[in-house]
Amino acid sequence: MKSSRVLQKTWNVLLNHSTLVLFVVVFIIFGLSSPRFFTLENITNFVKQAAFTGIIAVGMTFVLLTAGIDLSVGSNMYLSSVISGLLMRSIGLDVLPALLVALVVGTLFGAVNAFSVVYLRITPFMATLATLVIGRGIGTALTESRQIDLPERMATFGQAHLLGIPMPIIAFLIVVSTAYFVLTRLPIGRQIYAVGNDRDAAEKAGINSKRVIFSVYLISGFCAALAGFILASQVIRVDRSFAEGREFDAIAAAVLGGVSLFGGVGNVIGALVGAVLIQMVQTGLQFNQVNLYLQPMVRALIILMTVFFDSLREAQAEKLRRRFIRPLDGDKTEVHKAPVVPSQANT
Amino acid sequence: MHKNSKFIAGLAFTALLTAIPFTQAQAGLRICFGFQDLETEFWVAGHLAITQTLREQGVEVLEYNANEDPNRQLEQVRECIAQGVDGIIIIPQDGDSAVTIVKEAQANDIPIAVFNRPPNDRSSGIVVVADNVSATEQAVEFMAQQALVKWQVTGKTIQPLILVGALQDTNAIGRRDGFFNVINRYNEAYPGMFAEPIEVATEWDAATALANLEAAITANPDVDFIFTSSDFLFPTIRSVLEPRGKWVPRGNPNHVFMGGLDGDATACMLIEQGFVDATGVQDLFLEAELTLNALLEAIQAGQTRPNEVLLDPGFALTAANIQFNRNDMWGCVLYDQGFLDK
Repeated sequence: MKSSRVLQKTWNVLLNHSTLVLFVVVFIIFGLSSPRFFTLENITNFVKQAAFTGIIAVGMTFVLLTAGIDLSVGSNMYLSSVISGLLMRSIGLDVLPALLVALVVGTLFGAVNAFSVVYLRITPFMATLATLVIGRGIGTALTESRQIDLPERMATFGQAHLLGIPMPIIAFLIVVSTAYFVLTRLPIGRQIYAVGNDRDAAEKAGINSKRVIFSVYLISGFCAALAGFILASQVIRVDRSFAEGREFDAIAAAVLGGVSLFGGVGNVIGALVGAVLIQMVQTGLQFNQVNLYLQPMVRALIILMTVFFDSLREAQAEKLRRRFIRPLDGDKTEVHKAPVVPSQANT
Repeated sequence: MHKNSKFIAGLAFTALLTAIPFTQAQAGLRICFGFQDLETEFWVAGHLAITQTLREQGVEVLEYNANEDPNRQLEQVRECIAQGVDGIIIIPQDGDSAVTIVKEAQANDIPIAVFNRPPNDRSSGIVVVADNVSATEQAVEFMAQQALVKWQVTGKTIQPLILVGALQDTNAIGRRDGFFNVINRYNEAYPGMFAEPIEVATEWDAATALANLEAAITANPDVDFIFTSSDFLFPTIRSVLEPRGKWVPRGNPNHVFMGGLDGDATACMLIEQGFVDATGVQDLFLEAELTLNALLEAIQAGQTRPNEVLLDPGFALTAANIQFNRNDMWGCVLYDQGFLDK
């Protein structure tokens, strides 16, 4: 009896931390098959490569928490990098002012999304799908389809280290910790969860949901621009296909990390784990020289496994919720929310 | 018009007006030119070469940009057919959609030519295509010759690596085949010269290439022979090699034998600077000439369904021949006129 309870408890813990468990399992498997996988150099590399996806995933987490979506992050990355890159080439703008320009452009891009969603009442999917096309169109028109080769100082910036830590990782950590602080310690963080859980109830409680939703698209735009600039500093060239389709990586990373597409559930640590997991899998496949035709399938399989465990966790949470159904006066019934499974908590 | 476009247009004019021997002026003809987004300088230069030359000959050109959407391109071609154009030139998104579009044009008795990106079924339409296998083999052959000297002196096995393009792209597959043909040939002639090649997926995306190449080099720090299936990835390769002290010119013991394919301006500059050893060149001018001549001849002859495959064998621009052959490579012409400084 006691042992079965322990087993059940262990299973629950594993299920509630399935992404993390899978992360550790995958890490160990790849490491055993190729000892260099465990080296600090390799770990640094794949975290660095995950940084830009992770940063947009953090921005995406804010949007998803309000039950929205931002499909335009890839175009935002492209457009903000194009404009800052053009200014670097044409008037010799230095790296930091160029970064500021990119961030302003990205945030304005986010403001367009926010305005469309909040004031024009266009569904987030359609609004950001439109800006996805418009953003890339503007960038293509500005460059006339040509690539922008970034100046030498951008390469130096991209290769910079602080205390031995590569610049992209530092930026990633700053973004994650700031986002974590905002979501867990500031009123706006609680308001974001409240709006995502139940917008009507949040408004009745006095929350200005328009302001909350507007701000998450600004944050997403800001994060996309930062990620774009970091990526540009790594590849030292911005071309027409720059950051194309990255919105799907960001959404996948956030969802893998436990963020719900229906809003109100998830956190930025999950997005961090999800982004690094995706990159680690890709690195592991490369390390093991897995056939190029098989690589996408293996990647998809691991994502599928994570989502499968997530659905098991959901099913269990649902079961717990049912235990709390009790009859009220008359014919009415009320479904009380069960204690949320720990990894789903808004931590 | 943007300064760079004026420049490329000028380049296209000069090169093509001297290179293309039109049989007669083509005034009064209407040609539909459908293309996908012009992602690289190769496509920009190719697009301008075709449109400017046709217009110079008095041909009315209807241009359609499908923005990487094959369905949209099919619709655009249907629109052209409805307008009763005399001929169609397309740069398709992929080999499958090209087959459908060629069928559609031929079913309506309009001659059609496919430029550079071939349909999976090459039996229909005028198909002008670079021989990716041949161009790659020529570039990798030069790299292998250099590596052979090193191997014979040091006795150390050479570790080759190839950055492979998107696997649904027939150009990428041809380049991969060309690379392996040479490596296998050398391994048969000189057993043990090359280790098993490392393949790195790029999906024609610099960020993917960067992540995978960094992983591959971390796993195999001894890589000393890199071939990229497209020259546009040289800056990405540099980002990975430079911090490891391996981005050094020929003559330095840490030099990595390096080659690519396309023949763009960056490749030209890097060959000259000594960082890159060779690049396989698609002869853009020849391909444009073959496309236009074949289509216009078919129109003149009243052929509505011309079917032929016209091959551009390509050539290799190498560290050994750059001083003699640089004017044949479109990227060097761009580079010489300051393209990379604009």
